[in-house]
Amino acid sequence: MNFESKLRKTFSSTSEMLDPEQFINKLTTARYAQALKRSQAISGYLAMVVVLVVGILGYNELDQGAILMEGTYYYSTNIISDQDEDSEYFDDLALYIIEQEEDIWMAFSFLDEIEYDKIVNLMENES
Amino acid sequence: MKTDRELIEEFQRGSDAAFNELVRKYLDLVYHFFQKITPDKMEAEDLAQTVFIKLFKALKKFRFESEFNTYLYRVNINTANTYFKRNKWRNMLHLDQVPDPGYVDTSQDRQWRKEEVWAAVGQLPKKQRLVVMMRISQALPFKDIGNILDMTEGSAKVNYHHGIKRVKSLLGNNK
Repeated sequence: MNFESKLRKTFSSTSEMLDPEQFINKLTTARYAQALKRSQAISGYLAMVVVLVVGILGYNELDQGAILMEGTYYYSTNIISDQDEDSEYFDDLALYIIEQEEDIWMAFSFLDEIEYDKIVNLMENES
Repeated sequence: MKTDRELIEEFQRGSDAAFNELVRKYLDLVYHFFQKITPDKMEAEDLAQTVFIKLFKALKKFRFESEFNTYLYRVNINTANTYFKRNKWRNMLHLDQVPDPGYVDTSQDRQWRKEEVWAAVGQLPKKQRLVVMMRISQALPFKDIGNILDMTEGSAKVNYHHGIKRVKSLLGNNK
């Protein structure tokens, strides 16, 4: 017997049949199970993406340069922004006082009292 | 009786019943294909199920560029190939295992077990493996094998020749 015939003989055993209706039922169940698995995987993936996006947006929204100082978080940009506003306000106030006050030394002493020395230094430098 | 084309077209229009008709028509062919590949009936049934699940997805976009029969063979072959790859190490171990004394037949004409043959086939390079698989399990002519695997008849013959030579040496039959 040659090699190929011998090999074929190995596979020549009688084949069994499957019940088609039973197979179709199993196939349908398997298909639905697979579709369910796929949709669950897609939902999970989408949920993960949403959480990630919300997380990133939330982080960006909250992370305004927080600085931890003595156990307290300070938001640096807010502070800077407040300082800028305060500084502008005091500059305007100082100019107003200097312009309105007849006695300029009174005005200077008042600014010195409130520890505002920006304009005073400027005036000293100019003189 | 409806043709394959009619059934596929009906399925593409949304009829699951048409797909089930295709399953009824080709179940034996697919199941017998895998019965020759694995001795485990459950595994053969699972592989047949995998093929039909693949078909369910693929047939929705089937464009009739090839015969459905040929296409089905390709799906069978690819599924079997994946099965071989998955079981490569297991197959290699099968070859190294000492057979159960109850099964040992020392005569030179002893019949091999399917596992032994497929373990050897599983070690062949892809093209040789596919050709040998189709030739010894389905007894298909080289022309059909070439058509299914997108190669010439000559190439199928050469791959078969090299593959079978290697299987022969792996099975210890160098005569």
